Amino acid sequence: MRVIPAEGTAGRDIAGLLFTADMYGVQLDHLAAVLGVSEARARGVAARWRDQGYADSARLGPGGPWTWLTRAGLNACGLRYTAAPPALGRLAHIRAVVAVRLALESAGGYAAGGGYWRSERRLRASMGGRVGLRQHIPDGEVHWPDSAAVPWAGECWAIEAELTPKTASRTTAIMRELLTRTGDYGCAAAEVAAGGPPRHARVVYVCAPAARPTVARAREALGGAGARVEIRLLPAGAALPRPARGHRARAPQRGTPAGSGSPP
Amino acid sequence: MIRRWLSLIAVRAALRALGRAIRVAAIAALVVAAAPASLAAALGAALAWLRGWPPGRLYRAALWCAPMLAVWLAATAITARSAARLATAPYHAWLALWQAGPVAPHLAAVAELAPAAIPAGLAAGGLAWSYRLRSMETGAGGLSPGAAVSFDRRQWRHQVRSARARIAAPGAIPLTTRDGSIVAGAVIRAVGHPRREVANIPYPRMRSHQVVIGTTGTGKTTLLLRLWAGFMATALRRHAAGQGRLPLLVVLDCKGGADARRIADRARRALRLAGARATAIWPDEASLSLWALPPEQLITTLVDLIEHGTGSAAYYADVMEAVVSLAVAAPGGPPAGAADFLARLDPGWLALAYSSGGHEADLALVRTASRQIGDIALRFRTLLRRLGRGLDGPGGFGDADAWYCILEGTAEVSVAEAQARALADLLASYATQPGQTGREILLAVDEFSAVSRRLPLWQLYERARSLGLSVQVSAQSWQGLAAAEDERYRIAATADGGIWLLRTPHPEPVAALAGTRKVTETTRRLIRMPAWSHQGTSRVRPDPVVDPALIRGLDVGQAGYIYRGGVTYVQVKRLVTAPAALPRPAAPATPAAEATPTAKTTAAAEATPATRATPAEQATPAEQATPAEQATPAEQATPAEQAAPAEQATPATQAAATAAPGAPRRPAPHPLADAGALLDEAFGPEPAP
Repeated sequence: MRVIPAEGTAGRDIAGLLFTADMYGVQLDHLAAVLGVSEARARGVAARWRDQGYADSARLGPGGPWTWLTRAGLNACGLRYTAAPPALGRLAHIRAVVAVRLALESAGGYAAGGGYWRSERRLRASMGGRVGLRQHIPDGEVHWPDSAAVPWAGECWAIEAELTPKTASRTTAIMRELLTRTGDYGCAAAEVAAGGPPRHARVVYVCAPAARPTVARAREALGGAGARVEIRLLPAGAALPRPARGHRARAPQRGTPAGSGSPP
Repeated sequence: MIRRWLSLIAVRAALRALGRAIRVAAIAALVVAAAPASLAAALGAALAWLRGWPPGRLYRAALWCAPMLAVWLAATAITARSAARLATAPYHAWLALWQAGPVAPHLAAVAELAPAAIPAGLAAGGLAWSYRLRSMETGAGGLSPGAAVSFDRRQWRHQVRSARARIAAPGAIPLTTRDGSIVAGAVIRAVGHPRREVANIPYPRMRSHQVVIGTTGTGKTTLLLRLWAGFMATALRRHAAGQGRLPLLVVLDCKGGADARRIADRARRALRLAGARATAIWPDEASLSLWALPPEQLITTLVDLIEHGTGSAAYYADVMEAVVSLAVAAPGGPPAGAADFLARLDPGWLALAYSSGGHEADLALVRTASRQIGDIALRFRTLLRRLGRGLDGPGGFGDADAWYCILEGTAEVSVAEAQARALADLLASYATQPGQTGREILLAVDEFSAVSRRLPLWQLYERARSLGLSVQVSAQSWQGLAAAEDERYRIAATADGGIWLLRTPHPEPVAALAGTRKVTETTRRLIRMPAWSHQGTSRVRPDPVVDPALIRGLDVGQAGYIYRGGVTYVQVKRLVTAPAALPRPAAPATPAAEATPTAKTTAAAEATPATRATPAEQATPAEQATPAEQATPAEQATPAEQAAPAEQATPATQAAATAAPGAPRRPAPHPLADAGALLDEAFGPEPAP
């Protein structure tokens, strides 16, 4: 079914819809940050999307309500994702990844470099829904155009948001896989296996304080290749607020994120 | 008396010779008189002989000239303004041709007559060529006794040459036609089938059972890849048009080994070009979950995976089935994986699971079988370990458009047999899944007889038929189809979609399935070479549709497609897939670059502090090469690096060179630009350990 965008859908709405689709769903405070408006105004935008049939929203967990795109919304965006609300077990992770993306996109160097965030959902879609494939998919990729006026122009970064510590060996294996991967996700086996430069010039681990020691140990285990792994702490407001306290998480005040560029 | 009789004979012979001479002269005069048309006829017949064309092609060419004839007649009618002049226009044109004297007016007259002469000539050439073919086919033509045989052999060579030229022409052989038929290649010869330029296989035949037989190196894989890609492209197009369901191609390659991996990669690229979004290669890159089977089916499959003895050993088979049933159908639900299942094969676990009340009979069964449970667990532990991770999930057939399953039927027969059994059960379960929207499934099995001890192919065949799956069986020989002769016949005789026969040393059984056709055989009496008597007999006799000798002599890429009592010999068009990924080409080394390339790099590094090597890089430069970098030939030292010592100016390169004096030089890692400023701005500085 082809859905014709409703009249009056502003460019800001389109960017917000695409962002929401790519990230599985966003919580209200993050949606406000994406749209560059207050939470009250973002609530109104979400309600409008819901009325137009593009989105649905509900209070899935602690904190503000979540908004995600319906089948009609995904069709309007031209995306072939499966329409579903964010999985309850992944709410914390999704929120952390959204916070990482917002923080990165609000940095001055990001807009200057023309960075493009390729989300995990988009990567999975490019693999054609091959659930059984044993590949680790990063939480996002950042592509920098060759023509960008930044020293890392032309690079592709893998972004990992780490909330809870895995075992060091598992983390090392993931790092090694990301650093040695040569082909795109969903590409032919020959492209992955054939010799060529690594796909990811570096891997950025943005982790919670609890996960940082494990990630650091894993990086040390890589030896020299560990120089391509960057470790940072999650920005404030990346974690889901605790239900007992009942307060809402605050959106990272990083300003309006850079617009979504075209995929490289 | 004798003299008169002899003179009479001489007179008769002279008269006969005179009559023959008059006949030849009359024919020659007719040919010369109808020069433009006879020239076109001769050229057409010669071309048909040279290219191995059927007469129909000349008739069609004559028909295609009809517009030209119509235009010519219209022009003549406009000029003459008389019906009588129009009717006699060809005669007048012919007359003008012979009355024209010099060369230039002569050519002009030929051009004027050509619109009528060319179609007439082509039609006459077609008739002559048809007569020639018919006389050679019935044995009534030719000067020598072996003329018919050598004529047929020569015509085969000409037809092959034409077919090869056709498949070599760019765009002449598409993957599918507009009506959704799959194009296998160019037609060499057809017996009992309509003669076409290209071999079209209608899509419904791909939804029926097919058999492919051909020895190694005859182009079987090329043919299969083309058929699979055609099936995928047509089915996807039909699905997009709302005429069919989504396709699913499942290939069971029962030989395994490195060849199977190469073919899998070719298949993936071919299917991608055909529109398949995802091709999963099992078990190398994808997995399936045996534990997704319905509990009842899971019990049967698990029990069948283990080999049982007969006679008194049947008792243990019953015990095993009872224990597996207890473990799978436990109150908590079926096992989620191999580890879960093995954990359940424990008397304590089973007793606890069934102790919730209402399971007294099951508890009694657990107590009775408790002595055997350990042995059963041991057998399953060994089996599941040998089966590997490929069947331990996650994943299902619905996750991809195509599955290429590699079974190591050559190296590990018993494991491959168990895998084949499990995969067949999984596919059957997927096809009959309630609530499943349904897919148009093509199951292609190659050398299945290598792994069919526990699941005979005919059983798979019959099962697939009942599930609505189409099965494509390929084997290297007739014997490779199945273990027993009646099974082979059962498989081949039910191939509703046709049989593809490539070169094989024993084609007789399959050739016999094509049946016979009625041909006219003529016998002549040879008086002396090359004079034949006018006496002879003709009779109708049955002749095999498929000539086994021709099959034995097929070249690489040639196949006979047997369907409904006819055969079409095809020159298969190789599917041109996207090339495998190539390493990044090394930059051409210009003299200037060879002289001071690193000096430039170093200068740039000095100019921009952001590009300097980090302390970590400087500390352990020799470790900078990642496993991927070590393995990639693309990153080997360029000639410029090997030639110019000046390049070792950078610390990383210096250290790489000095770290292992005797070892071959490893490439220096690409200096990584410092992105710390951006990350610091976004997330703050890197936390201290």
